[in-house]
Amino acid sequence: MKIQLKIAAFWAVAALAQVPAQAQEATASGSSQQPDNAPVVLPEEKRWRIGAALGYGLRSNPLIQSDDIPIAIDLDLAWFGDRWFFDNGDLGVELIDNSAFTTNLVARLNSDRAFFSKTNTKYVTFSVMPGGMTGALFNPVTGEPVPTEDAPPQPLKPPERDYAIELGFETLFSGEWGQATLRAFHDVSGTHHGYEISADYSYRIARGRFSLSPLLGVSWKSAELSDYYWGVHPEEASFTLRQYDAKAGLGWEVGVSANYYLTKSMRLALSANYEELQHSVAMSPLVEDDHVTGYFAGLAWQF
Amino acid sequence: MSLDTSPASPGSSDMLKLPRLIGLVAALLLVSPALVSPARAADPPVKLIIKPLLCVIDKGATDCVVTFDIRWKSAQPGEYCLNDSVQATPLRCWPSALNGDMKHERTFSEDFRFWLGAPAGGERVSEVKIEVLRVGSDDRRRERRSRHVWDVL
Repeated sequence: MKIQLKIAAFWAVAALAQVPAQAQEATASGSSQQPDNAPVVLPEEKRWRIGAALGYGLRSNPLIQSDDIPIAIDLDLAWFGDRWFFDNGDLGVELIDNSAFTTNLVARLNSDRAFFSKTNTKYVTFSVMPGGMTGALFNPVTGEPVPTEDAPPQPLKPPERDYAIELGFETLFSGEWGQATLRAFHDVSGTHHGYEISADYSYRIARGRFSLSPLLGVSWKSAELSDYYWGVHPEEASFTLRQYDAKAGLGWEVGVSANYYLTKSMRLALSANYEELQHSVAMSPLVEDDHVTGYFAGLAWQF
Repeated sequence: MSLDTSPASPGSSDMLKLPRLIGLVAALLLVSPALVSPARAADPPVKLIIKPLLCVIDKGATDCVVTFDIRWKSAQPGEYCLNDSVQATPLRCWPSALNGDMKHERTFSEDFRFWLGAPAGGERVSEVKIEVLRVGSDDRRRERRSRHVWDVL
């Protein structure tokens, strides 16, 4: 909790520090009259951004007894006001915006819950242990292994998890060197009580109609968040699932997206990414893959 | 109120006709463009071909600088002028020709049109729209990347 308060205080102080500087910039630019150096006035951007991509893609699901997530359509719905914005499920308000960075306060849904939507049950005669190992059926009450010949197959099914609403700060940087994002979010819905801090960097290479954007990112998830989604809680331990406490840890991801613009509103879009789960999550009995891969290729429209 | 299910009843007869009616409407919709405008099936009398049709302006850039490859051809010889929606005077006129081509360099920042027409103006016999697409934004919020599982682009 102390760490969360420190992060919030840091952003709040940074926001207050920027206010006088922004006021000075506004005054200076308003009073100077230099027609020769006047910036080019670009057309005003639309408030709404509505788009859809049709194609084929897949997000792998690291959860045991679950299906991968097929992606045939990817919708893009966003609205940007002077300060408030809605961006594909994220609701935010801009706190600071200057030449170096933009800081927003954002409310969002945690994504980990999405993996728990496509689960199924399998009847097995083994128990799942940390690290993907399997052993004999395990009596969660006595703590003793159960001989296979004494027990019928038992159900193996991932436990249920809820969506969490998270509130946090994000700071967006951009320049000739590319784009970077720092984010810190905390659960405000009383679901997992944890937090996540992440950072990513991307660089867009554009050549005519073609653009390519590689991306690198890291994410640190607290023990509360990791354990809520990926631990096996004491009341969930069964003959097939051993209790497991997931700890805090650092994961990383790499990705690339490419676009080829066919017309002003239509483009060919390609995207692929790889996320390495943090070690403690990867070792969970609930996890069968230590990574998540995703890809999509299709035709995207911007309306 | 009763439900009459006899084959000879008017209601049942209407039901049987419905699929035929839908089929007829669908067939009419398919063939109607050819019935209404038979000229569409044939090649246009004058065809204007321009490359490129799209210019992508990246963040930080303000203008497109493009050399257009412009070609046209006509089924019948005539005097045609190439115009655009930016300036009042023709870019070039061809006296009594069946086709023509030229290179044209231009700096622009908004959509505009090229068209072929008679020297005196009036009807546009062939028209092409040149589009400008701005990618990237100075508003960093529009460039933010969602980290949701269901977002793949």
